[in-house]
Amino acid sequence: MSSPALSFTLVITGAPYSTQAPQTALAFARATVAAGHRIDRVFLYGDGVYLASNLASPPSDEANWSHQWRAFLEEKAVPGVACIASALRRGIVDDNEKQRYELPASNIAAPFSIAGLGEWVEGVARSDRVIYFHGGN
Amino acid sequence: MKTLVIINQAPYGNWSGREALDMALSLAAFDQPATLLFTSDGVNWLRKDQQAAAISQKSVDRNLAAASIFGVSELLADHQSCHRFGLDDHTMIEGITLANINADFLRAYGHVISLS
Repeated sequence: MSSPALSFTLVITGAPYSTQAPQTALAFARATVAAGHRIDRVFLYGDGVYLASNLASPPSDEANWSHQWRAFLEEKAVPGVACIASALRRGIVDDNEKQRYELPASNIAAPFSIAGLGEWVEGVARSDRVIYFHGGN
Repeated sequence: MKTLVIINQAPYGNWSGREALDMALSLAAFDQPATLLFTSDGVNWLRKDQQAAAISQKSVDRNLAAASIFGVSELLADHQSCHRFGLDDHTMIEGITLANINADFLRAYGHVISLS
């Protein structure tokens, strides 16, 4: 007996390399899609926005969670959105914000984009489930 | 769907409370019902006359004053936590409703968020 397909919004608040949140979320995302469910969007909040940096360069014998997430989002055509307030505080910037704040560079990793908390509100209002991946204390 | 946003960390030492408050404000801005609950160490957000400038931070009570203006339905504080931290009518900012938190209370919300 198969359960009905559900739609999910995933919220990641823990940073890669200091917490397991992005890794756990990716395993959940893969299992969700494999089970026939849909992921409406992945929303990065707080320290979770570090996942969207294209400058992270872990040693070659370690998993690159940013690369793996970006490949997943592109393959499954799932929007990945970093909260703009969290991102700007932490130095994650797209070309628009680079110009607005006259910064020397931008570093958002496609297909991630930067947008407001309204994207998360949309998830709360429309997705069947909103699942949070925190770093813990 | 009613959303409950829980703040359970004291202000200033940890950013999660500000981020949780932003979530509640955003829900309200998009006409989604949101309630804020302060519990455990988080009730210290509600203390009057905080001197945050002394540590180069902005006092959180101004952010809280904005909550009702922006349409956050209710500001609740856990009764026991307030008692533990010596918060009462004299030491707490205005506009807070005391609540007893238990399973029945949480069941009234379709979505419950705690960032820590």
